[in-house]
Amino acid sequence: MTSIERMNAASFAANGSQPPAIDIRDLRVDYGNFVAVDDLTLSVPPGEVFGLVGPNGAGKTSTFRVLTTLMEPTYGEVILDGVDVLEDIESARRIIGYMPDLAPVPSDLKVWEFLDFHAAAYGLGTKAQRRERAAECLEEVALTDQRDKWCKELSRGQTQRVVLAKTLLHRPRVLILDEPASGLDPLARRDLRNALRRLAKTGATVFVSSHILSELAEMCTSLCVMNRGRLLASGTVDEVRQQMGSTERTLTATLLGRQEEAASWLCAQHAVHDLRIDLNQVIFGFKGTDEAQADLMEGMIRLGIRVRAFEEKRSSFEDILVEVAESNRRP
Amino acid sequence: MNPHPPARHPAWKIWSNPVFRRYCRSRLRPQGLGVSLLVTVLIAGFIVTMVRAVSLRSGLDPSDAARSVIIPLLFLQGVILFVFGTAQTAGGMTAERDEGVIDYQRLIPMSPLSKVLGYLFGLPVREYVMFLTTLPFTGWALWTGGVAWQVWLPLYSVVFTSTLTYHFTGLLTGTVAKNRRWAFLASIGLVFCLYTVIPQMAKFGLVFFKYLTITPVVEESLPGLLPKTVGAAVESIQKLAPTVKFFGLDFSETVFTVFSQGGLILTFVVMLCRKWRRGESHLLGKTWATGFFIWIQTLLLGNALPLIETGSLFPSRAFTRMVRVVQSRPPEPMEAVAMSGIYGLVTLVLIFILVAIVTPSTDSQLRGWRRVRKQGDTSLSFFSDAATGFWAAIVMALAGAGGWFLFTRGLVESRWFPGHEVPIGVFGLFAAVLLSAGVGYQALLEARGGRYVTLTAIFVGVVPVMIGAVMAVSENLAPVAVWLIGMSPLSLPVYASSSLLSLAELPEGLARAMPRAFRFWLFVAILTCCWLVKNLWTARRAMARKVLDGPAADR
Repeated sequence: MTSIERMNAASFAANGSQPPAIDIRDLRVDYGNFVAVDDLTLSVPPGEVFGLVGPNGAGKTSTFRVLTTLMEPTYGEVILDGVDVLEDIESARRIIGYMPDLAPVPSDLKVWEFLDFHAAAYGLGTKAQRRERAAECLEEVALTDQRDKWCKELSRGQTQRVVLAKTLLHRPRVLILDEPASGLDPLARRDLRNALRRLAKTGATVFVSSHILSELAEMCTSLCVMNRGRLLASGTVDEVRQQMGSTERTLTATLLGRQEEAASWLCAQHAVHDLRIDLNQVIFGFKGTDEAQADLMEGMIRLGIRVRAFEEKRSSFEDILVEVAESNRRP
Repeated sequence: MNPHPPARHPAWKIWSNPVFRRYCRSRLRPQGLGVSLLVTVLIAGFIVTMVRAVSLRSGLDPSDAARSVIIPLLFLQGVILFVFGTAQTAGGMTAERDEGVIDYQRLIPMSPLSKVLGYLFGLPVREYVMFLTTLPFTGWALWTGGVAWQVWLPLYSVVFTSTLTYHFTGLLTGTVAKNRRWAFLASIGLVFCLYTVIPQMAKFGLVFFKYLTITPVVEESLPGLLPKTVGAAVESIQKLAPTVKFFGLDFSETVFTVFSQGGLILTFVVMLCRKWRRGESHLLGKTWATGFFIWIQTLLLGNALPLIETGSLFPSRAFTRMVRVVQSRPPEPMEAVAMSGIYGLVTLVLIFILVAIVTPSTDSQLRGWRRVRKQGDTSLSFFSDAATGFWAAIVMALAGAGGWFLFTRGLVESRWFPGHEVPIGVFGLFAAVLLSAGVGYQALLEARGGRYVTLTAIFVGVVPVMIGAVMAVSENLAPVAVWLIGMSPLSLPVYASSSLLSLAELPEGLARAMPRAFRFWLFVAILTCCWLVKNLWTARRAMARKVLDGPAADR
């Protein structure tokens, strides 16, 4: 277990004694000599909207395919809502809702027929009950007016929403969504976000991957970062940023005079770099903890430098992931 | 919480099977179905009217004229179910994967058998309805022609089981083939081979293969279906070859055909269920594949051995029976030699096919060893997909050699060839042939993969035969050609029968060259096989050691 995985387990433990909705232990997936997922251990408490982020080839889709019973891992254990996915495939399939990347739809069915087929396959009551549930799900994704349309006639975004409706049909306990927001317009994204939050409130757990990171950050209660099959960080967005070692930020101190003196003092501090003076502002890079930043401010004030304002700008989550992706390209 | 408790879908409840109903919905839409039914009714109507009119004009009474219609209608029904239905099954399955929706179907909580049956009856549902629309015409012909139910019921039972066999073939091809074009070609090729080419083996003593088709039952039913005068003639010919013999038992053609097709259907079901359960699984487990091979050997022997003493197993005797040439003429000795060689060759090809199914790829072996390491074990489970297919190949080769030997001894020591014997030592050589070729092939496939096997098959299996065949045209080069052709493992069974049986009457030049070439190439094959097996074990041991003992990065 890596330190990140220990932190993930500890944070899960802190969330209470409820068993995790998603419990992945020592998961490994190989394609020949290529290791797609490398001894991944991860726990997600129930009711979370949990994001999975990582560059291409990080192992996200392989992880999802194992979770959804579509692929047998080299080894490892996956427990979803108390069901061992590798041992009891049929029970696992009843509690999973899976929406794959570039979600396809059959060309020979109408929207309502597609939903009715899946409702019947999941055994959702009588014909009337199935239709009622299909109508609810269509309403959830704002596609009620498209129910009689052929699936092949839908736009990319509408297709995504129909597949999302299909995924919600049987009220899955664990929802696994691979890039669900791709192809959706901003309004539909907002609807998706709200729908996922509503689902999470009912106790369902949502495991979602996306390359639109800002979207994911808004959507998820917590997330994890994968790279080269390994878990790099896990927790809330801020925790992840910290775990990724990203304590880098740009600080701007607006002073009432004595800029030169402040600058020379700051340059002497080891966490400060790239300092410049712009009129009454001293702008500099700072790499350190929040405590160190507070100490820095306190030091300036003790020197008698009058600080009118102090502003910080942290590097964005995208920046961190770009850094991760670029590290993959390096030999 | 979900207010509706999830329902199970029993496999036998086809009508409520969601996959079946999904295809009923999409393939039975009024526009598409209407045109198909219109065309079917038009063709069936045309056949009935035309054939009946011609029959009446040629002097048949109304009852016989109605009977004349039955076989053309059966042909139309065969085209609808066997050709269109099979194409639809294979194509529909591949389209599911092409569109990418097959993953949804994998995830729906139905048993693999329910899914397989849903697809089996759902994909060709329009063809079933088209077939049903031809039944009133057939019903009229049977009624007016006064055909007894004992005649048409067995025939249509076998039409149904044959339809299932064909559709299972299509479904399996559609499930396994990687892309739509290959699925189409492979399903056409497989159906053509299974039901057209392979049954021809029946003419060379492998009688069982003809029971995979509808032909024996059609032949059995013909007297009752044809106009009475023609039917009587056919019946008198049929009396020369009554019921199906299976060792000491007698079966009707219908029962035995259903039994034979049933075995194949069961194997197809197992293959498809394995694939639905886990996409990466082998089509058959090692035990099932070995059992299937032994089952086929038993059927081949069970059908062939009882026909030797009557002589009807021999191609020349079967022919003379039909044209009523002198009955006492014995079969040619070389017929028996050729039949023995073909039996060995077919057995070897079966070993190749089944061994290819159960042999793990390098990827699969690696994954298996990594799983073993994680579980703290030191060896792979003997019957797991990742375990070596070596032992299965050994068992198949030995069982095949046993079957081949019994068949050959049955032929040679029959009343037709007095004074000839097959010593038990021949079993050893037959076993050496099948072991060296079958196990060598398995070892190469497991250690080096399919690409090496394909290249070897081309340069060692096929090219020498082609060059040898060209050289054999010149009489002077025939002995050289024999040596060259002998290099191909495929020729070894034929060479074995020609060299080891006292019956063999080869031309003078070949009589010297063939036994020598056989012994030489068998020796080379055994050496090569031992070398390949040694390489395989070294490679497997190295892989196991690398995974089990190596540093973490190698694992």
